[in-house]
Amino acid sequence: MATTTGTAPARTGPGAAAPAPGRTSEHRSTKTGSVAWMAIPAVAFFAFFGAVPLVGVFVLSFMQWDGLSPSPTWLGLGNWTSILTDPVMWRAMGLTFGIMIFSWLVQTPISLLLGVFTAGTQKYRAVLAVLYFLPLLMSAAAISIAFKALLDPNFGLAASLGVPWLALNWLGDPTLVLFVVIFVLSWMYVPFHSLLYQGGVQQIPKQMYEAASIDGAGTVRQFFSITLPQLKYTIITSSTLMVVGSMTAFDLIFVLTGGGPGNSTRVLALDMYLRAFRANQMGPGSVIACLIVLIGLGLALFLRRLGGKDANSSQMEGL
Amino acid sequence: MLAMAPLAGAALSACGTSGPGGSSGGGGDGKASWWYLSGDPNETIRKDNIASWNEANADSTIDITFFQNDAYKTKIKTAIGAGQAPTMIYGWGGGTLASYAAAGQVMDLTDWLDQNPDVKNAVLPASYGPATIDGKVYAYPNENASPIIFYYNKRVFEKVGVSAPPTTWDELMSLVDTFNQAGVAPIGLAGQSRWTSMMWLEYLFDRQGGPQVFDAIFKGEADAWSNPDAIAALTLTQDLVKAKGFIQGFESITADSNADQALMYTDKVAMMLHGSWTYAGMKNDGGDFVSGGNLGWFDFPTISGGKGDPKDTCGNPGQYTSISSGASEEAVQVAKDFFAKGIMSEEIVQKFVDSGQVCIAASAADKFAASEDKDFLEYAYGLTANAPVFQQSWDQALSPATAEALLSNIDQLFSLSITPQQFADNMNATLGQ
Amino acid sequence: MATATDSSTRGATTSRSRSSKRPNWVGGLMGWVWLGVIVVPIYWIVITSLKPSSEYFTTNPLLPSASPTFDAYQLVLENDFARYFINSVLVTLGAVVPAVLISFMAAFAIVRGKSRFLRLSSGFLLMGLAVPLQATIIPLYLMIIRLQLYNSLLAVILPSIAFAIPLAVLVLGNFIRDVPNELFESMRLDGTSEWGTAWRLAFPLVRPAIVTVSIYTGLQVWNGFLLPLIFTDRQELRVLPLALWTFQGQYSVNVPAVLAAVVLSTLPIVVFYVIGRRQLVSGLTAGFSK
Repeated sequence: MATTTGTAPARTGPGAAAPAPGRTSEHRSTKTGSVAWMAIPAVAFFAFFGAVPLVGVFVLSFMQWDGLSPSPTWLGLGNWTSILTDPVMWRAMGLTFGIMIFSWLVQTPISLLLGVFTAGTQKYRAVLAVLYFLPLLMSAAAISIAFKALLDPNFGLAASLGVPWLALNWLGDPTLVLFVVIFVLSWMYVPFHSLLYQGGVQQIPKQMYEAASIDGAGTVRQFFSITLPQLKYTIITSSTLMVVGSMTAFDLIFVLTGGGPGNSTRVLALDMYLRAFRANQMGPGSVIACLIVLIGLGLALFLRRLGGKDANSSQMEGL
Repeated sequence: MLAMAPLAGAALSACGTSGPGGSSGGGGDGKASWWYLSGDPNETIRKDNIASWNEANADSTIDITFFQNDAYKTKIKTAIGAGQAPTMIYGWGGGTLASYAAAGQVMDLTDWLDQNPDVKNAVLPASYGPATIDGKVYAYPNENASPIIFYYNKRVFEKVGVSAPPTTWDELMSLVDTFNQAGVAPIGLAGQSRWTSMMWLEYLFDRQGGPQVFDAIFKGEADAWSNPDAIAALTLTQDLVKAKGFIQGFESITADSNADQALMYTDKVAMMLHGSWTYAGMKNDGGDFVSGGNLGWFDFPTISGGKGDPKDTCGNPGQYTSISSGASEEAVQVAKDFFAKGIMSEEIVQKFVDSGQVCIAASAADKFAASEDKDFLEYAYGLTANAPVFQQSWDQALSPATAEALLSNIDQLFSLSITPQQFADNMNATLGQ
Repeated sequence: MATATDSSTRGATTSRSRSSKRPNWVGGLMGWVWLGVIVVPIYWIVITSLKPSSEYFTTNPLLPSASPTFDAYQLVLENDFARYFINSVLVTLGAVVPAVLISFMAAFAIVRGKSRFLRLSSGFLLMGLAVPLQATIIPLYLMIIRLQLYNSLLAVILPSIAFAIPLAVLVLGNFIRDVPNELFESMRLDGTSEWGTAWRLAFPLVRPAIVTVSIYTGLQVWNGFLLPLIFTDRQELRVLPLALWTFQGQYSVNVPAVLAAVVLSTLPIVVFYVIGRRQLVSGLTAGFSK
C-alpha cells in the first residue's frame, strides 16, 4: 500500500504528463468491450439526481410556482426580467463575488504558507495534524453556532471579557459581518487547503532547491522561483475548489446570519433559498439557481484555462 | 462494507414515507397530526392537553410536533407543497391563509361552523376577521389575542431615576438619551426576527396617520407607501435607531429563543415593545421578575400632530388553526372533534388565563378578575376589546411574497441601509401582489 | 527520478533539512498564529460547555469553571441526541457505500473500456464536478415530492450519492490507471472476467483511494445541512447538523447547552479521525494532488 501511495504522486507536475498517455493507451488497447455496463449505475444515478435537476432548474426558471399548488405553470420570460432588474439580486451577486475574492485572498496565502510549514516540520507533526484538522471535522452548522455564541455582543466572549474594542457589533453591523463571514469561512477551510499545499510541496524534488542554493539563491528567492511555480497545479486545484466552495457556501451563512443584517450577507445561494422557500417564489428562485450554475461553470472553465494546457491534459488524458 | 448494504437498505426503507397510500394529514385510522410552535408556557400547556386528549380518546389520537416560529413559517409551506401537511395547521390567518385557500390546501369550515353553533360561538365573534377569506371561514380562531404591549422594567427605571413611562414620542426620545447616558440600553429588540421590528412600524403608521395609511396599502392602492404620513413614520423610526434607542447588537438577536425577553428580566434593557404572550414567557423564565412586580406596561406614545386614535392597537386577534384539505376522512373527524371539545376546553382556557394570556374564549373574560395576573390581563383585554381599530400583524395580513419583501425592507430600514423614500419605492413595487 | 524523490520526500526530514528549513520563519510564525486562531475558539467551546449555565454570565469566559458539570451534556442527550446520531449514521452509510461502489465500477469501466458511451460518460461526469448541489434544490424538491420521498432519509441519501459520484469517479479513475497493465493482462490470460478483475485485482490495489473517497464523501454527507433542512421536517428524522440548529434556536440563551451540543455532534467524527488519521491525510494528499 505504501508503494502505491508513493508512486501515485510522482506522476503529477508538468514533467509527468509524458508517461500518462503511454499508460492509458496501454489500458485502452486491451479488449474490454464488456465493461461499459459497469458505468451505467453511476451515470444513471448522476443523470437522474444531478443532470435532470440541472435541466429542471433551467425549465423552472420560465415557470411560475409557489410551492403550495400541485403544479408549476408556464410563465415565459417574466421571472428572468424581474430578477435581472432586481437590485437585491445584483447586490447578492456583488456580495458573492466579493466574498469569493476576499476569501481567496485570505485563505490562499495562509494555506500556502501553512502547507509549506507543515510539509517541513516533523517534531510536532502529530499534534499539529490533529489540531489543524479539527475545523474541517465540524459541520458548518456547528461552527456557525459556536461563533454566533462567541460573538454575541451581549452574552458572548467579548462581552464577558469587558473589552470594548472586542465587543463590537460583529454580527449586527453590515460591514463587520462580512469580515466575520470571511473569517469563519477561512477558519473552516484553511486546514483543507493547507493539506493540499502540503501534499504539493512534498512532491517538489529537493534537488531543485539544492541546485538553487548552490547557485546562491536565497530563501525568499527560492520560494518564489521554485516553490510557487511547482505548486501551480495545486494552486489551480485549490483555487477552483475554494472559489466554487465559497460561491455555494449556504450552510455557514444561513446559520450564522440568515442573510442579514438587512441584506448584507445575502449571497446568491441564500437569495435563492429565501426567494423559493420563504417568499414562495420558485420561479425567480430557479433563475438565481441558473445564475449560480452558469457562474460556477464559467469560473471552473476559466481557472482551468488559466492552468494551461498541461494541467488540462493530464486530467483529461487519463479519462 | 458490502455486507452493510442490505442492512442499511432495510433500515432505510423503514424510515421513509410510503408510496401512494401515505398521503398527508396523518394517514392512519383515527390519527391526526398537529404542528405547533415551541416555547413555553404554551408548549407545555398543549403537550399536557394532547396527552390527556389521547388518553381519553384512544381511537382518535393526535400527534403534536413543535417548531420554532421562524423555522415553522418556512417549513409549513414546504410541507403543504409536498402534500405532507399536518392535519391541523397553526397559523395567523390573513394573506398566508388566503394563499393556502387559493391553492386549495385548507378546508372551508363555514358550513361546519354554522352547523355547530356551540363551537362557533365559543370564541369572540370579532376574532373571525382574519380567518375569513371571500366570505368563507378557513380557520378556527382559538387561543389568545396578542395585542402588542409596550413593557418597561420598573427596577431599571427606578435605578436610573425615571419616574414614569413616556406618553408622547418626544418624551420617549428624551428617555432614550437618559438611559443611554446612564449606561443602560433603552429598548430591547430581536431585530433578526424582523417581525419584531415590524411592530414599531405598525404602531407608528397608525399613530402618525391613522388606520387609513395601512388600509390603502392592504387594498393595493398605487403608491400607498409614499403617503407622507408613512414617510414620516419611517423617518421617526430611523431617528430612534440613530439615537441608539435599541440595544447594541439588536440586528442579530432572534426572538425564537426568547433572547429578547431575557434582556428584560436580566435588566439589560429598560423597555420593550412586544406581543402580550411574552408576559407569560417572562413570568415563566424570569424568576421573580414578574411576580415581584417589576414588569410594567404603558400605551404606545402619541405623536404630536398625529392623526391616529391613541387607543388603536395592533397585534394578532387570535391564533388560527386550519384543517388540511389533503387529510384523510378519519383525521379530519378527529380534528373537528378536537376543535369542538379539546382545543378550547374549560381546562385549557383556565390554563391560558393562569399563565397571563388574553384568551379569546367567550367564557374567559370573567376569569381574568380571579387571576393573579389580573392587572395585566385586564389591561391587555381592555386594549383588545376597546380598540377602535385592531390592526392585524402586517406580515400575516399581506400575501407571503409581499410579506417577505416587507420584512426584508424593514431589516434594511432598521440597519439604516436604505432611506424611508427607498423603502417606500421598494414596497410600492410589491403592491397588489 | 520519480521514485528517488518519493522515497526521499516521504522519508526522514534530515536529508531535506536544508530545503525544508528555509520558509520556516514566515511559515513558522504563520503556523503558530494560526494554531492559536484554531485552538482558542475550540478551547472556549469546550470549557464553556462544562460550565453550569448560571455561571456562564458571571465568570471569566477564558477560565475553566471551578465546578465543571455535565448538566449541559445531559440536557442535550435528553433531547433525543441518540436518535439524531443514528439518523446521521444511517444517512452517511446509506450514501457513502453505494456511492463508492458504483463510482468504482464506473471508474474501472472508464479506464479499462473503449466505447463511445464510456468516453461520453467520463466527460459527462467530469462536467458534473462543476455543478453545485445547492443550485439544484428547487427541482429536486419537486422531484422528491413527486416520488413521494418527502420526509424520508432516502430524500437526503439519493441526491447525496449522485453528487458524490463525479469526484469519486475522478479520484478512483486516477488510481486505477496506476495499476500496471501487466497485472490486468495476467488476469485476463487466466480467464478472469472483467468483473472479476475489477473486484479481485483493482479494488484491493486502489484501497487508499477507496478510503480517501469514502472519508471525503462521508464527511460531506455527515455534515450536510441543506438537504435535511428542506426535505425533512419530522423531528425523528433529523440528522445532527439540523438537530444542532433547531436545538440552538430553542436554547440559545443557554450557551453551555448549545456548545455541549456542538461538542457532542463533532465528537464521533473526531474519534474516528484520531483513529484513522494517517489513512485520511495520506489519501487526501495523494488523491487530490493528482
